[in-house]
Amino acid sequence: MTLKNLVLQGIPASPGIVLGRVKVLRGREGYQVPPRLLYTEEEVAGELKRFRLAVEQTEEELNRYKAELPRELKEHSHILELHLIMLRDPMLFQETQRLIREQHFNSERALHQAFQKVKEVFQNIKDPYIKGRIQDVEEVYRRLLGHLTGEGQSLMLSFSQPVIIVAPDLSPNETTQMSGSPVLGFVTERGGRTSHTAIIAQALEIPAVVGLDNATLEIASGELIIVDGLTGRVILAPDAATLKQYQAHKAEFETFRAEVAQGSAFPATTTDGHGNRVLANIELPEEVSLALKYGGDGIGLYRTEFLYLRLRRLPSEEELFDNYKQVAEAMAPREVTIRTLDIGGDKFLTPFQYPSEMNPALGLRAIRFSLKEQTIFRVQLKAILRASAFGRVRIMFPLISSVGEMREARKLLAEAMEELKSQGAPFDPQMPVGAMIEVPAAVTLASLLAQEADFFSIGTNDLIQYALAIDRVNKQVADMYQPLHPAVLRMIRDVVQAGRAAGVPVAICGEMAGDPMYVTVLLGLGVEEFSMNAAAIPVIKRVIRMISLAEAREFARQALRRVTVEEVNEFVINEMERRFPEIFRFGRTLATI
Amino acid sequence: MAPKKAAQPAVVKELWVENRLGVHARPAAKISSLANQFDAEITLEKDGRRVEARNFLALLTLDCPQGTRLVLRAGGVQAREAALAIAALFARKFGET
Repeated sequence: MTLKNLVLQGIPASPGIVLGRVKVLRGREGYQVPPRLLYTEEEVAGELKRFRLAVEQTEEELNRYKAELPRELKEHSHILELHLIMLRDPMLFQETQRLIREQHFNSERALHQAFQKVKEVFQNIKDPYIKGRIQDVEEVYRRLLGHLTGEGQSLMLSFSQPVIIVAPDLSPNETTQMSGSPVLGFVTERGGRTSHTAIIAQALEIPAVVGLDNATLEIASGELIIVDGLTGRVILAPDAATLKQYQAHKAEFETFRAEVAQGSAFPATTTDGHGNRVLANIELPEEVSLALKYGGDGIGLYRTEFLYLRLRRLPSEEELFDNYKQVAEAMAPREVTIRTLDIGGDKFLTPFQYPSEMNPALGLRAIRFSLKEQTIFRVQLKAILRASAFGRVRIMFPLISSVGEMREARKLLAEAMEELKSQGAPFDPQMPVGAMIEVPAAVTLASLLAQEADFFSIGTNDLIQYALAIDRVNKQVADMYQPLHPAVLRMIRDVVQAGRAAGVPVAICGEMAGDPMYVTVLLGLGVEEFSMNAAAIPVIKRVIRMISLAEAREFARQALRRVTVEEVNEFVINEMERRFPEIFRFGRTLATI
Repeated sequence: MAPKKAAQPAVVKELWVENRLGVHARPAAKISSLANQFDAEITLEKDGRRVEARNFLALLTLDCPQGTRLVLRAGGVQAREAALAIAALFARKFGET
């Protein structure tokens, strides 16, 4: 008699539950590299040529994969980019050639040795995420070897029946091939939560468990198993009761996932009819597609540093305008909030080299830099203004700490408008102008700043850092970085109140906005706009739709009554988990993908 | 032979890894491809171990989680530009959080 309900514990890699028959894949394990020595210079030259040819073929193959990537995986093309870089990395590419030249090894053996060396170095890496990248190196190695030997190509996943795959390891490309195939889910012996294979499985919504030692020995083809990608459990030979229980659990999760996804297109209105906006933070024009896919009501924060830093010179007004226009048009009629440059002078390629600073966070950066380097700022202001003719654009200034700065920035904006007018270039003369509230001084001055701004956006990451005098990067104090610190909550409350008194809407665009844990308290404090990483939008919308504004206000009042951060944390975490059990059972996993 | 432009003196800069995940694959790829764009010899050093900034795998194996301090050295014609560009990449946390 076989044992019933045998449970194996692996690492959850892609959420979801699946029941099905197993197909165990083996095959590429134990591939022996044929060693051979080369005897003549001609042989060496020929071998080098053969190796470079295999590299080129692999390159072609990877580029082809990249071009043929299914649409839902487009955003993961960087994995293939990485493999292309690894292929030409000195540790593989140069080292293999050196071994061929100097040791007279054949390509396979030289490559194998170069790979083993990389593997050894990776073994000493402590960070598990980086350590896991050896899997990518290994895939590149295998692929290259495949081209050298004409064997070992990645296995084609063609099945006529629905199956759960159990394998020693699956490469990202093999996982990619599961798109549209009857593969229900998979279990692998190797891999980690952050492996590229896991990331692709998440994108395809295929439940997966990885890092399950001996899976191919313990599980047999044809067996009925349950794969729980939420907990990392694999159940062998489930009995009727277990099957029933898991079927219910599966249905519950899938309903939740479907509801979250379906709901993403609908407005974030509370149960008592109060409308809110949930928006996306982006950095590149390409990310607009993600914002739309996840139901973003607009772009709440468009960071503009990338172009300045990527080019080795200052971008022209035309280049900036092209980028901004692209985003404004793609999002229209939704609003796009463009933040002007938020970097420091020492990071900038200007004719004048700014010295590096002792305390960059307290130094010449953001609006301070823009007001000092007005030539650079004017170019950006004009580009943003011109883009405003192609959609609904708002502009905001980062790190505002005084009314004077706000006035000065607005004055430059008005001058840019005059200039465009004389050139006959179209723009939106009513384009809203916002102040980012990130400095405690701006919180104190909120009611005065509200006279100068059309909207506020609270940048919680910097505000928490400045308010609590905590550098998050410093491990000694990192745990004192507390979004629910009573001082932080009071600051948010005060900004909202000052804004409301002057008819200035208040948005929030730090990491705090995208964590389901903080939604209720922020809503209760009066925040009406939440901007976050696109993937978090559906879950945040769902939480908002499940509460009333009245409840949220009471919730915030209760939170404000607690005087220590520990008390606030305890209250918020307990209450949120009690009120939204499914969000905290499933939703945080979905929001962090 | 055409007169060669005098090489700039070496630039030394202190860098901090500020993004949450550290120098994982994507940041390392960004660093190495940026380093490749300059006519400069660029190295990064951590605790006495020095690797070339162009060398993607070597960067990964340097093992730099959040909070790591690195010393950047650049020499060659575009040493200063290269150092500034790489420092900027670090400062914006490689576009991550």
